[in-house]
Amino acid sequence: MSRSQRDAEAFVVTCEDCAVETRTDDPNETVAFYRRHRSATGHDVVWEGADAAALDGLDVPADADLAAVVRALDGAYEGGVPLGVVAAAMGERGATMAETFEAVHDLRMTGGLYEPRDDHLRPF
Amino acid sequence: MTRWNDGVDEVSTVSPDITEETNALPNRYFTDPEVHEMEKEKVFGEYWVYAGHANCIPEEGDFFTRTVGDRQIIVLRDHDGEVTAFYNVCAHRGSKMVDDTPMSDPGHMSRIRCPYHLWTYDLDGDLASTPKSFEEPGLNPDLEGGDVRPPDPERNGLLTVPTATIGPLVFVNFSDDPMPFEEQAGKMKEELEALPLGEYEHAQRIVSEVECNWKTFGGNYSECDHCQANHQDWIKGISLDESELEVQDYHWVLHYTHDEDVDDEMRIHEEHEAQFYYLWPNFTVNMYGTADGYGTYIIDPIDEGRFQLVADYYFRDADLTGEEREFIRTSRQLQEEDFELVERQYEGQKMGALAQAQLGPNEHTVHKLHRLAQEAYNA
Ligand code: FES
Ligand SMILES: [Fe+2]
Repeated sequence: MSRSQRDAEAFVVTCEDCAVETRTDDPNETVAFYRRHRSATGHDVVWEGADAAALDGLDVPADADLAAVVRALDGAYEGGVPLGVVAAAMGERGATMAETFEAVHDLRMTGGLYEPRDDHLRPF
Repeated sequence: MTRWNDGVDEVSTVSPDITEETNALPNRYFTDPEVHEMEKEKVFGEYWVYAGHANCIPEEGDFFTRTVGDRQIIVLRDHDGEVTAFYNVCAHRGSKMVDDTPMSDPGHMSRIRCPYHLWTYDLDGDLASTPKSFEEPGLNPDLEGGDVRPPDPERNGLLTVPTATIGPLVFVNFSDDPMPFEEQAGKMKEELEALPLGEYEHAQRIVSEVECNWKTFGGNYSECDHCQANHQDWIKGISLDESELEVQDYHWVLHYTHDEDVDDEMRIHEEHEAQFYYLWPNFTVNMYGTADGYGTYIIDPIDEGRFQLVADYYFRDADLTGEEREFIRTSRQLQEEDFELVERQYEGQKMGALAQAQLGPNEHTVHKLHRLAQEAYNA
């Protein structure tokens, strides 16, 4: 992606402290961005927008929890929902990246989620 | 001479002579993923690289982590008040021990404890304690109680990484046989240590990701032939004709003379100019001339086509005044202008049409950067 092509990109996250953002077609690239940014600054990262088709069809209430969101998205992806899509869906429900990943960690550690491949989630 | 990629031309390496020859580093060294892998060893595994600022860890037990290539270290203030560095790797079975902890958000611990089996180390890296299960072989019928020797504190200690400093700036080296730090830092060390860098506090960190090779940005930082066309605001107060780009063994200094005398209160050093130091491979110290403070950049590769620019700003007080905030905003504007340029350049570099670029006479600093890269690769 270059600065001249940016308008085509669907997933947008920003760090409000640094006033930098990343735009990408690949939802999991937002996750990689968050991890790198967090490890260099400790900052959290928030969602500016995501227009994945799967999110539009998401038939769960705006205040649904992580487990409900992953369950709702599960059918649209074979081999697990990309973590970035889950984060985007949670972002639309007001969660920052750090909040989403904390919730993902908690749910995984209590057996509610598994990772059929790296950074892809399926509900139990 | 510019060399196009016509499929037959064997591209030559960079000339050692920086005045006669104008060869750039052949283009493939900017775009090849294998070069990125090689650089982890031959560049970032050999030379002194910047770890962070000692003022961020003033108390015994304060620490931050820093990742360079595939390696992560813990930089901490030990019992003697010295800054030391260890691999973030447990001596027991190699677990990573502490979580990523940036310099701008440091942590504190009285001992280093590995979460896996709770081996615990002193701040000097010696093994301090292990759980009982490492002393009592109750689960192993082949061993009688008396047979077990507890692990030796020193021989089972953490692996130290050599450190060196320029004032409060801390550097580390991952080589088995590091070159003396003084050789790499040259007179940059004395020049910067003549200034009260340690009296200034970290005030802000801004991290950006840019879509180009780290050397592409390093080259942009090192020359000002692009300034007239691209940094209208910055160029206003600068006499480019009177400025000077000075090349040393492993660093170069860009002296930008101000058109008018800058108020003495407004800068950390005595020269009536901005001074930007680039220390090979990927660190810069920025003395702005128009601010009583300074900055640093770390140009950290992510892969061959991306890097992180870690920009840190230091002022008398960590709480920014309105003027200082405005100053950082201006610096940020300069970065954005340059990001636009280097991403555009990198798109061109990736097309593969150009095999080797040609450098102008005022790009001798860029030539130095390219030469050092070539030397590192061939070493
Ligand atoms: S790996 Fe660290 S205590 Fe076992
Ligand atoms: Fe520039």
